[in-house]
Amino acid sequence: MNNNAPRVGLSGGMSIGYKSSLAVVEDEISLGSGTHYLLARNGRGKTTLLRTLAGVLKPIGGSYACEGTCQLLSEDLSFDRELPAKVVFKSLLDKESFKGAMELAEKLELDTVKPYGKLSTGNKRKVALLVAEFSVQEGRPDILLLDEPFTGLDAFSREIFQELWDKRRDGVLRLVSCHPDFDSMEMESSVLISEEKIMHLADDEIPKQWGDLKTQLN
Amino acid sequence: MQLYRLTLATLIQRKVWVVALLCVLVLPLVLPYLTSYESNPTLIEPARAQAAWICLWVVCLLWLLFQAARFGDDSSRSGMGAYFLSKGVSRFSQMMQIWLACMTFLLPLSLITVAVCLIGAMPGNEEQVGMWIVTNFQYLALFLLVVIPLTLVSISMGSRFGSTLGYLVPLSLSLYGIYGVGYLDMMTSVEGNVMIEWLYIVSPHYHLADLTPRLVFKHGSMLGSEFFELVAYFLGIKLVLSAFSTICFQAKPTL
Repeated sequence: MNNNAPRVGLSGGMSIGYKSSLAVVEDEISLGSGTHYLLARNGRGKTTLLRTLAGVLKPIGGSYACEGTCQLLSEDLSFDRELPAKVVFKSLLDKESFKGAMELAEKLELDTVKPYGKLSTGNKRKVALLVAEFSVQEGRPDILLLDEPFTGLDAFSREIFQELWDKRRDGVLRLVSCHPDFDSMEMESSVLISEEKIMHLADDEIPKQWGDLKTQLN
Repeated sequence: MQLYRLTLATLIQRKVWVVALLCVLVLPLVLPYLTSYESNPTLIEPARAQAAWICLWVVCLLWLLFQAARFGDDSSRSGMGAYFLSKGVSRFSQMMQIWLACMTFLLPLSLITVAVCLIGAMPGNEEQVGMWIVTNFQYLALFLLVVIPLTLVSISMGSRFGSTLGYLVPLSLSLYGIYGVGYLDMMTSVEGNVMIEWLYIVSPHYHLADLTPRLVFKHGSMLGSEFFELVAYFLGIKLVLSAFSTICFQAKPTL
């Protein structure tokens, strides 16, 4: 077994929710390195599942295991409005990662000197995503729980991040909740929440494109 | 220590620390000259010491506690608390990192105040020099023992109830402890009400940490036994407030 491989395991019967159950894992789920999309309609429990896996919320029943260093990038994650992105990176990243984040920020046309509060929604999202991506350390299993990371991001920036994800697959597990907005978006592995059930579709089970997959959501 | 670095960077970026620094450094030198000091120039030094310590109290109660409450509030509401929780940074560790960042500003400000008193207000009489130095350091110790736990309370209450309550409660507690308890003392001597007497006993007697009159009127340093009794008393209060803060602090908003 590779020690560098992150893993998220959800036992069958694991139930998530706040006071009452929102959804239950149908059959045991095991996720490894790579990008997994978390798909569901509004209010079905995507954020709740991510918060539970991050250890911020307790599951109502059952158990789960996260083997790796988690980072939960919630949709509302924000930094002090007077801090420029450059200072955020400097505070949260080591020297090497800071350099990488600044290079990618330039490619993404993110103004790293402008105060965070004056950035657009999309640019604010880029700051959080860059922090998460460059906090990943080589040789360490990392789990990124990304809640709607593409909100406000333009197609150009989204492509850059997806290229980065393709390039940095080993040792990193990304569970990404999103609402795909084009039918041809490709997905190799998806976790679906539908009819209060959480299920994993991978390999041959999964329609490769969002256009076919969305018909399964209820 | 990522949260510590981020909090410290935020404090520096907000730039209000410059005003705090100027208050502690410049006002004690300027304010005594705004009085009618010409009638008795020997009062300039004690007035400088008085101004230095009052400025430090004001800066800490008005600025530091507010910043602490705001950091507590921001941490739980901005998703940063949940982010660091997911990274394995415990609630307690998060609270301590925010607190440490606040202390990184408090300690230099306190040392500047002591320096102003030692350099700018040192008595000419050689016999009083030793007393003056000891009194200032005793004052510093007691002052820190009061402000350190109040900062923790600000952070924790800010995280749970928002920055307004997180600021107002410790501020009121400190003002009550410094000034209000004195009025309560007068009431107990006049009325003899058991409730008021109990309230007086359980109140935080922060006025005991205010050694400004001792400096101004050159009463000399406290006796070792008297000082350590006070240290023990304030350590007790610190223990209670720290325990309360640890329970109260939350890294994520209540759902």
